[in-house]
Amino acid sequence: MKQIKTLFLLILLIILVGCSNKVTTYNNNYFYMDTYINVKIYSNNKNLVIKAFKEINNIYQEYHQLSDRYQSYDNLINLYYINHNLDINKEIIINEKLYDMIKYSIDFYHKSNGLLNIALGNVIDVWKQYREEGIGIPTEKELMESGSIDIDNIILSDKAIMKKNNIKIDLGAIAKGYATEKVGQYLESIGLNQYIINAGGNVKVGSHYQDDNYTIGVEDPNDTTEIYQVIKGNNMVVVTSGGYERFYEYKGQKYHHIIDPNTLFPPQYMQAVTVICDNSAYGDALSTILFLMPIETGINYINNLDNVEAVWYGLDNQIYYSEGFDKYA
Amino acid sequence: MHKNDMILIVIILIIALIIFIVPKINSNQGNKIANVYYENKLIKTIDLSSNLKQEYNIKGYNGNIVIETKDNMIRVKTENSPLHLCSKQGWVENSHEVIVCLPNRIIIKIEDNEEMYDAVVR
Repeated sequence: MKQIKTLFLLILLIILVGCSNKVTTYNNNYFYMDTYINVKIYSNNKNLVIKAFKEINNIYQEYHQLSDRYQSYDNLINLYYINHNLDINKEIIINEKLYDMIKYSIDFYHKSNGLLNIALGNVIDVWKQYREEGIGIPTEKELMESGSIDIDNIILSDKAIMKKNNIKIDLGAIAKGYATEKVGQYLESIGLNQYIINAGGNVKVGSHYQDDNYTIGVEDPNDTTEIYQVIKGNNMVVVTSGGYERFYEYKGQKYHHIIDPNTLFPPQYMQAVTVICDNSAYGDALSTILFLMPIETGINYINNLDNVEAVWYGLDNQIYYSEGFDKYA
Repeated sequence: MHKNDMILIVIILIIALIIFIVPKINSNQGNKIANVYYENKLIKTIDLSSNLKQEYNIKGYNGNIVIETKDNMIRVKTENSPLHLCSKQGWVENSHEVIVCLPNRIIIKIEDNEEMYDAVVR
């Protein structure tokens, strides 16, 4: 009798151990901000995940529409409206989320000595036209005469915005990371801490579903079938600028979509740079400004920041690391 | 040791073995396959284990898309989009290389038994 009792207890134990590991992976795809976004959630609460997927769609959709500068939407004041329909020197109250995103970007402009400039819209438009029509490259004169790029012409005060001239705001360097950060924060606020958000060059992971590390591969810009660096960790953000996406070639030179506000041309310091930190908006901004400085300058810059690491893929095909990168390798 | 104890241990080992092995048999049988999604809907599963050249037609947002397979690889052969990024991407054979055709809302993912990475940044 005693053995049978023990047997039942043991079987029960085995079954219980088997069940406790049973976390399901849920997957959902989104298409916003010119990007394929994949969200994976590990959970055993299906209803909560379904609710979360809907809310994530709302968050990305809202930030997509707010930061869209090529299209207007009914009853929405977005970047298109501010860039094209808002009169100069006229103040208008805008959506708090858009206000906060612009405020965040302007603060970062000052922290980065002007390297992250969301007022480059006029110049970016000229480049975009050349890139899409494949008609060579613009002249410096043409870029200089395209309109103001002075960020001080954007005036923010108490939820309102005002333009002092024909400036055009472009949030391309920040919107995707900013929205991804909001999605991560939302998931954590409802107790779904185990997730991977992959928005192209922008990955945010929560805690791991098996007390392990997430493994993130960084694609080789020279050979997209290869991974040149593996990054391991939890509760982190991995953001790449550069890579093979969104550039065009003219006379053997690659012209990237990221523009240096000092030269008005795409920088030629590296093939790609990848940043690891704990906030997706910060990572997006950081990877952009690192792309705009020589690798040596960037290494010093990152070494002076807390809790941020980076890896560079040089034009010489060498890999460069920040000081504390090892803990993710 | 009691004879019954031995029987007990053997029974537990057998049960443990069954619990351990059964899920593996079910999940580990797949060869290399590619899943084709339209937004969130799985619309086609293509076996990549054959070396023969083969063509498949699917519907994207902008109309018909021709997918081609050969030698365990897959590519988008023709599609209707402004920049033709996904057909320019060419042949793909690793699970971390996703083919995305944004204007057509089509995603092609190679699913391996062992995925080496949880995510890939590019």
